[in-house]
Order: sequence, then C-alpha cells, then structure tokens
Amino acid sequence: MSGFLESLRCSECVDWGEKRNTIASVAAGVLFFTGWWIIIDAAVKYPQMEDFNHSYHACGVIATIAFLMINAVSNGQVRGDSYSEGCLGQTGARIWLFIGFMMAFGSLIASMWILFGGYVVKEKPVVYPGIAVFFQNAFIFFGGLVFKFGRTEDLWQ
Amino acid sequence: MAGVKALVALSFSGAIGLTFLMLGCALEYYGVYWPLFVLIFYFICPIPHFIAKRVGDDSDAASSACRELAYFFTTGIVVSAFGFPIILARVEAIKWGACGLVLAGNAVIFLTILGFFLVFGRGDDFSWEQW
Repeated sequence: MSGFLESLRCSECVDWGEKRNTIASVAAGVLFFTGWWIIIDAAVKYPQMEDFNHSYHACGVIATIAFLMINAVSNGQVRGDSYSEGCLGQTGARIWLFIGFMMAFGSLIASMWILFGGYVVKEKPVVYPGIAVFFQNAFIFFGGLVFKFGRTEDLWQ
Repeated sequence: MAGVKALVALSFSGAIGLTFLMLGCALEYYGVYWPLFVLIFYFICPIPHFIAKRVGDDSDAASSACRELAYFFTTGIVVSAFGFPIILARVEAIKWGACGLVLAGNAVIFLTILGFFLVFGRGDDFSWEQW
C-alpha cells in the first residue's frame, strides 16, 4: 500500500507549461461567475427588502471593480521590467494595484460583516442571503487571485 | 474526408444536445419554454474567441493577455448557461427534472462546440470553400 501514490504522476500526463495560463483563466472565470450567480440566486429567492437589503449588493460591485483593477496591471509593470512606462510609470502601477487589493480585501471583510452583523447576530429567520453575499465575495476574491497569480507572463513573450 | 466524418459526428451530438433542451421544455409534464433562453448563451459563447483571434497579433507566443481574457469570458458564458436553468428551478418557474434535462443538453452542446474548435480551429489552411 505504501507509496502507491508515487506512481501517480499527474504533472507529466498533461503539459502544464503551455496550458498553465489557459487553465488559470478558466478557473478564474468559473470562480468569478459562480460568485455572481450565487448572488443572483439569493436576489431572486428573497426579493423583499427585509429579507435581503438591496444595499448589500454594493459589496459585490466593489469586489468586481477590485477584480478589474487588480488584473488591469501586469506583474511586469509593477516590477518595472516592462518595455513601456505607461502613463504613470511604476509608481502609478503600484498605487493602482495597492488600491485594488485594498478594495478586494475590504469587500471580503465587509461581506463577513454583513453575514454576522446583518444576519447571525440579529437572529433573522432567513440567513441564506447573508451566506450568499459572503460566498459571492469569497468566490470573486479568489477568482481575482487565481487570475492574477495563476498565470505566468513568460508565455506572452 | 476526415473533416466530413468529424462534421457529421459533431452535428449528431449537437442534435442530441438540442433534443435534451427541447425535451426539458416541451414534454407535456414540463411544458414551460423559459429554458430556451440558454440558446443565447450557445450563440454568444464563441464570440470572445473570435474577437481575441482578430485583435491579437499572430505571433508565436504560447499565450497572450487578450486570449486569456477571451477564455475568461467564454468560461463566464458557459457558467451562466449552467446557472440560468438552476435559478429557474430554484424559483419554481420550471421543474427540477426539466432543469436536469437542460443541464445535460448544455453539457453535450458545449462539448460539441469545444470539439468543433478542436477539430476545425487548428488548421490554418482550412476554408469553407474546400468542399
């Protein structure tokens, strides 16, 4: 029994080197759009204001803007080894990325706050919208991380 | 000749997928035609790929940012096609059995579209006028 997983080499049956960016993009897409469909489900299931306060949607919107901001700058731009300087240069890219990550973390924390402050502590009869908001933001956040760090820019050259 | 065989096989599986979709709508027990809106997702799912192919330069790079964005949006369309009937079943607009049939049809149709691009997307000398 011992060592029978050693013969199982998954990294060799698929050529990960060439396909890595594609797989990361698809995984990020699955995470991001699953997140949005979760919140659509909660919104159509509980349309009333007392079950699901409509202002809670702002959290997911901020997470989406953060997703776009994080992925709009390349890693090479931040490290400063890209060919063109861009309009603001390396410092601008760093500040842009900093604000993007702050919005991403902020929306994730805010969704936890909504779940606990808006549903769990108040002991509402329906907790599902709070859980949906939390999972939406978690999925978008991790989708952004996968899209940002799962891809390698060596394949672009 | 191999291209023709692949084309026939692909159109067969596409017809199977559309049959699943229509069964989910038109069976007398279900009889609700809301799931037909997933046809929109079928039609728009190759569009990001076309845009990326036209916009992106034909360099020898293994990948490009434009193509990866196209993969991202294509995945989003596919996920939406699976999410839409589930939402319809959740709000009891359609029955769960119909939702299952539509999901099966989705899987077959998207595998067909993927197969179409794998078979015909590679060859650069391929053109419709050859037949």
